[in-house]
Amino acid sequence: MKKIYFLLFSSLTIFAGEVPLASPNLAPTHPGSQLYKEEMIEAIPFWNKFGELFVYVQTHYTKPLFLAILIGVPLAFAFHYFVWGPKKFSHKGRKFLIFPKWQRIVHWIAALGFIFLVPTGFLIIYAKYFGGGEPIRFARTIHDIGAILFAIAFIPMMLMWFKDMLPKSWDLKWLGMLGGYLSKEKKEIPAHKFNAGQKMWYWTIFFGGALMLLTGFLLYIQTFDKSLLNVKIFQIDILRIAILTHLALALIIVALFFTHLYMSLFAIKGAVDSMISGCKSEDELKHLHSIFYKDIINKKIDKKLEEGCK
Amino acid sequence: MYNYARMKFYCDTERCIECFGCVIACDEAHELPLGIARRKVVTLNDGIEGKEFSVSVACMHCTDAPCEQVCPVDCFYIREDGIVLHDKDKCIGCGYCLYACPFGAPQFPKDGAFGIRGVMDKCTMCAGGPEPTFSIEEREKYGQNRIAEGKVPMCAATCSTNALLVGDAESVSKIYRERVAARGKGVQTPYGWKEAY
Ligand code: SF4
Ligand code: SF4
Repeated sequence: MKKIYFLLFSSLTIFAGEVPLASPNLAPTHPGSQLYKEEMIEAIPFWNKFGELFVYVQTHYTKPLFLAILIGVPLAFAFHYFVWGPKKFSHKGRKFLIFPKWQRIVHWIAALGFIFLVPTGFLIIYAKYFGGGEPIRFARTIHDIGAILFAIAFIPMMLMWFKDMLPKSWDLKWLGMLGGYLSKEKKEIPAHKFNAGQKMWYWTIFFGGALMLLTGFLLYIQTFDKSLLNVKIFQIDILRIAILTHLALALIIVALFFTHLYMSLFAIKGAVDSMISGCKSEDELKHLHSIFYKDIINKKIDKKLEEGCK
Repeated sequence: MYNYARMKFYCDTERCIECFGCVIACDEAHELPLGIARRKVVTLNDGIEGKEFSVSVACMHCTDAPCEQVCPVDCFYIREDGIVLHDKDKCIGCGYCLYACPFGAPQFPKDGAFGIRGVMDKCTMCAGGPEPTFSIEEREKYGQNRIAEGKVPMCAATCSTNALLVGDAESVSKIYRERVAARGKGVQTPYGWKEAY
């Protein structure tokens, strides 16, 4: 508990801004920042590198691409649901503890972060259609709070599943058959504790989530002191690269987030229960995580895992 | 082509003596809060003989303004005379206009405790904003509307060396060409000219 308080407190202090005393001609809120100083002028002739790129991306791609994700992904899943339908597994019989309580808590903190982040992100991109102004400025604040929640859960979540998420040879087989989701047949699918799809989601968050936090943080402070970085790049260009990265990654992460939601809520009936109670049924394990199932039987830890669900 | 004049700023770096007169005049005329400077004077190559120069920058009221193109709430509007203005009631403070702007003109007040960004503020060329002209709201959000009063923007009016010029693009470039000819140094491309015009 102490640790959580510490994390919470330290993240708050990182985000706390400082009120600057105005120097007569410059406006940075961070004393070491070059954002509005000499560098801003030196950067003018180089605007057509990242500045022009950002203008081009923002005017041509941002809105249509996010709209495509927002409509396309759910449509594709609706089609899948209609044609192949959900997978149903018996929830009677033996149950095994897969996610201990602390893992579930960490997961739900991150999930809450996402519930704050994703809709408010869309609100910012399509602010025009919601009138902008105060309500969307409030959405921006919610977006920041979501980021803090996600940041708190990020490291523990990445550590606790790291070993189980390392790629294995059977993941290729899983990918080859697309996890068996394009068939109604109930058969044994090659996967250990996590299948290749879950691993893709994990590694996207591992790298993408870290980059999202970093770029989001830079965009939040804007007038940070970049002298520590020790690279030759204009401060404004760092911000431009940050916003472009943030948008591009958001596109991928949101698409996979929708997939994650669909899988846990619709595609496999009752899958979300395993993140609530921590338990998965024998029937589901046997089929969807066949290698894991054989593993626990062979190692004779099935009794122990079953204890956790009684 | 436009058949009306486009208002432009131009700072003659050969004349600017880094006195900060324009900055103070702007801050005072619009009663800007601490930490916001719509106009800035920046000196480059400080101390390097022959290369040092100072330039006064603010919003350049660009043709095809990039800020206007990227704003997610479309809160910018460009007047017939080319002055680029925005609506602070619609602005969400996302910062996109700053990333798009070649001149670092958009600035954001920050709240003390968490550093949360407020709505964007930038030079209005002393032309106020979308609120009714000469209203209290316009004065508080955007500053003086000197253009509506028939006056020259504060910064250029103050400039002691007439380095800072403002007016329709043609007159400004005519004055500049005459100055260059008088100096006999040959034509130079003025700083930031390409990006803003
Ligand atoms: S200088 Fe910047 S803020 Fe002003 S019109 Fe050009 S892009 Fe917009
Ligand atoms: S900060 Fe305001 S003016 Fe600038 S792009 Fe965002 S909403 Fe538009």
